[in-house]
Amino acid sequence: MKKKMVTVLLTAAMVTAMAAGCGSSSDSGSDKKESYTIGIEQFAEHGSLDNCREGFLKGLEAEGIKEGDNLTVKYKNAAADMGTAKQISDSLVSDKVDLVCAIATPSAQSVYNAAMKADIPVIYTAVTDPVAAELADKDGKPVGEVTGTSDKLPVEEQLKMIREMLPDAKKIGIMYTTSEANSVSAIKEYKSLVKKYDFELVEKGITTTADVSLAADDLLSKVDCITNLTDNTVVASLPTILDKANEKKIPVFGSEIEQVKIGCLAAEGIDYIALGKQTGKMAAKVLKGEAKASEQNFETITEPGFYVNSKVAEDLGITVPEDLANSAVESFGDGN
Amino acid sequence: MSFITSILEQGLIYGILALGIYITYKILDFPDLTVDGSFPLGAAITAALLTRGMNPYITLVLSFLAGAVAGICTGLIHVKCKVRDLLSGIIMMTALWTINLYIAGTANVPLFSQKTIFNNDLMEKIIPDVLAPYATLIIVLVLALICKVLLDLYLNTKSGFLLRAVGDNDVLVVSLAKDKGNIKILGLAISNGLVALAGCIFAQEERVFEISMGTGAMVIGLASVIIGTSIFRKMTLLHTTTAVLIGSVIYKACVAVALRNFDPQAMKLVTAVLFLVVLIISMDRKKKVNTNA
Repeated sequence: MKKKMVTVLLTAAMVTAMAAGCGSSSDSGSDKKESYTIGIEQFAEHGSLDNCREGFLKGLEAEGIKEGDNLTVKYKNAAADMGTAKQISDSLVSDKVDLVCAIATPSAQSVYNAAMKADIPVIYTAVTDPVAAELADKDGKPVGEVTGTSDKLPVEEQLKMIREMLPDAKKIGIMYTTSEANSVSAIKEYKSLVKKYDFELVEKGITTTADVSLAADDLLSKVDCITNLTDNTVVASLPTILDKANEKKIPVFGSEIEQVKIGCLAAEGIDYIALGKQTGKMAAKVLKGEAKASEQNFETITEPGFYVNSKVAEDLGITVPEDLANSAVESFGDGN
Repeated sequence: MSFITSILEQGLIYGILALGIYITYKILDFPDLTVDGSFPLGAAITAALLTRGMNPYITLVLSFLAGAVAGICTGLIHVKCKVRDLLSGIIMMTALWTINLYIAGTANVPLFSQKTIFNNDLMEKIIPDVLAPYATLIIVLVLALICKVLLDLYLNTKSGFLLRAVGDNDVLVVSLAKDKGNIKILGLAISNGLVALAGCIFAQEERVFEISMGTGAMVIGLASVIIGTSIFRKMTLLHTTTAVLIGSVIYKACVAVALRNFDPQAMKLVTAVLFLVVLIISMDRKKKVNTNA
């Protein structure tokens, strides 16, 4: 009988814990008009996604909405699990937050699914293709109270840049994870554009981190250079690929600033902090009531930045064309 | 109260998955990893059919059948090719990754604009406005109970008894002149059918198919089965199937508590500690039984 008591007590404790969490939160939301409570649901622990979140809060701050002052942030991370993502979405919606920021496609879909009934606006970021994710219609208009920013890669600019840096290269290799919708759609775009810049595309699909090493060896034996997408699995294993590529003196191009920092030759790419800031400004408009989420089309970074790692260029014996070098937003390596 | 509704919804959907794992893990004593592939298989079939305009209720049946086929494959690999149980599950799980991608077309298929079992004209008519916030829960509850009752009925048929015998004492099955291999295959088929059905329901509730949704499904199901069966070990009046469903709800409640009250980084650790607490409580009870005996 004692055990039964313990079980009952434990259950009671758990229910109270849940209720307590709920109670405290709903108070803070409805107190003052000038203070806001927002939820942030991030799909996984990941450098670029963390940068998005950091940028998002900075973007809000630039509009006078500062965490601690007039903003309460409930940040949750789904640890790359759809079931957990669903529970987070439901929990944020039941807390009746003023707005939810969703980072990465699965989170955006999950939050929107939960929030549409409750009329809570959703601002997403790091969603490569909002149209394919059914968060926006074909003209880029939001399907409901949901909008945000896309981290679509500037594929054409990247190819043009690679052509300028490596005038003789023929084969360009890309490694990607077959399960990442973002990568698959980027591969499609590469396929349709490589011919224009006289390249031949060699693609290598992987399923897990464990495949990276083998796939890299194979890919490096076939190509003149490698370019990266924003593929989570591949980016996480980038040091492995860079090691192998450096041995063979094959240049690896990145797709965002962080990748160039750790040793990619160059990138015509995205700065996720800037993307996050742009997203934060959109969210500020919604919170202040200046524009509804449904009135703002989703945005992309219009001008990609050129990043170059001059130390890597030197090691590989590649001279960066002067025009390009001058246009670099940021240059890493011996210069800094 | 909507967070409690959410826990119940999630718990019951994953409860159907746990019922499937209960068959393989508890009854057949077969650690079946096919689950990580058959859960998204149900979702992939659902996504492919719904986007082609299929009636959402028919997808429930077809998902179950697809899962059953996956289970039969695992069974055939194990029984006919004599591959070890764990490995045959891993082989099917790996193969299903690609199969799921082919079925769904891409890694992520949104279903926002499709009619689902939770959201269609029929449901809007049947469920009165007062109950509308609980509509999803009611539908999930009905589905979970149907699965449970059918499974209970099946386990009491002759075939069901044989299934239980294979796990407990397979010599008996052979002495009855029955092929234990075929019975294992049947068990795997039913189990993975239920798992795929859970995947189908989850995809319709979440309105998205995502290739990675199966990762860890096996672990969640296993934890639910163990929590459920050990807490309600002594309650003979309660069917084990009911205990498994409740176990799944408790699992989701643990996750919810961890999510709501702790730092996001600590979520997994807190969930783990909560499981441990639940299990230790139930283990004490087992000791008591032993000392009494």
